[in-house]
Amino acid sequence: MDGLVGASVEALRLLFTGDPEIWEIVAISFSVSFRAILYIVPLAILLSFALAFGNFPGRRALITIVNSLVALPAVVVGLLLYMLLYSSGPFGGWRLLFTQTAMIIGQMILAFPLLVAMIHLSFQSVDLSAWQTARTLGAGLIRAMFTIMREVRFGLIAAIVAGFGRVVSEVGCSIMVGGNILHHTRNIPTAIALETSKGEFEQGIALGAVLITLALALNFAVATVRGKDMARH
Amino acid sequence: MKHRRQELVAIRNVQKSISNRTVLDIDDLVIYPDECVVIHGPNGSGKSTLLKILGGLMMPDHGVATVNGVSSSWRQFYRRFRADAVYLHQSPYLFDRTVEENVAYGLVVRNRSRADIRGDVANALEWAGLAHLAKRNARELSGGEKQRVALTRARILTPKLLLLDEPTAAMDRKSRKQTFAMIRDLASDGNAVCIATHESAELYCPDRVIELENGKLVI
Repeated sequence: MDGLVGASVEALRLLFTGDPEIWEIVAISFSVSFRAILYIVPLAILLSFALAFGNFPGRRALITIVNSLVALPAVVVGLLLYMLLYSSGPFGGWRLLFTQTAMIIGQMILAFPLLVAMIHLSFQSVDLSAWQTARTLGAGLIRAMFTIMREVRFGLIAAIVAGFGRVVSEVGCSIMVGGNILHHTRNIPTAIALETSKGEFEQGIALGAVLITLALALNFAVATVRGKDMARH
Repeated sequence: MKHRRQELVAIRNVQKSISNRTVLDIDDLVIYPDECVVIHGPNGSGKSTLLKILGGLMMPDHGVATVNGVSSSWRQFYRRFRADAVYLHQSPYLFDRTVEENVAYGLVVRNRSRADIRGDVANALEWAGLAHLAKRNARELSGGEKQRVALTRARILTPKLLLLDEPTAAMDRKSRKQTFAMIRDLASDGNAVCIATHESAELYCPDRVIELENGKLVI
């Protein structure tokens, strides 16, 4: 118990004195996950839109596949990506293994099904007549799509926040394709795993506190956004 | 007299099937400029399908379309005619914005100047008696007010053909009266107005009534 209290006090000291190593790990974590979400959201919106308003063969099967992949284990994505990127793998020549780029790709793959499932649900909540109204009033395809996106803006924000929450806290993929290299690919979850395995809990607790604060903040943001959305309808 | 003028739009040998059931089978239908046509028929007779095809929201399986006497493929027809036809749903969809933003939508997507839009929207809201609701969120309005906003949003675009799908369904008496007055006003503006209804056609004072039954024209 004393050890836990002492480690917690030391963790708080590390956080509030601006320990450079801790805050660098936090910065890497946020930078990688933010870029992963930024790059994958447009693709997720396009697919979700096609699934919600399109009428093409295999649409239902695609929805089922996407929904099933929401629970895709991070470590499996990490394994597959590792096999593709390692030096003798099909994309080994790109030298991406143990880089932030590999971590971003892995997090994009992880976030994609969740984003598509949630954004698709948001689009489905809008009546087809919304699309037809935008079109009959003269909007082109892109303009009409942005109109519908504005209609479901709260759902879109909730999906993006949830997607960010999913990838910023995953450890399996990041540790496999990032390699947990200090100053380069060590992010919050991989650092916690490493420090805990060494029996040094201070840094782990400090980084855990950052993750928990982030999770609370994200949940609060999503609840606020959802509350606003429900109050309007 | 009217029938000797040049047609605005005509469709010939148009067929549409949904789930292997023929919902529309029209040999020949012509709409002339500035006429008010009521398409009358029971529920499920194909009225909405016909309006959606004319408005470019649904593609028929077969048939030919003609605009101003020139035949074209359906894709060309929609490309040329989409900007001239506005379709209003039975339950109009209003965007989650203010009433004036809803009315301005069609002008905004046409890249009209802000000053023009402001003036046109103010005039249109005045015409519809909705000026006092301009800043309200459109979702907060009653059914009758929503229909009037939708009519105003369509009218501001001065479409050559206005397609109204059961515009007074499920409305109270006062709202119906106001909506009828607006529709009559729209029809006298020189635009063609096509109204699908299962109610008495005479309520709309039409120039012509077309009866639709099981997807076919019977008159």
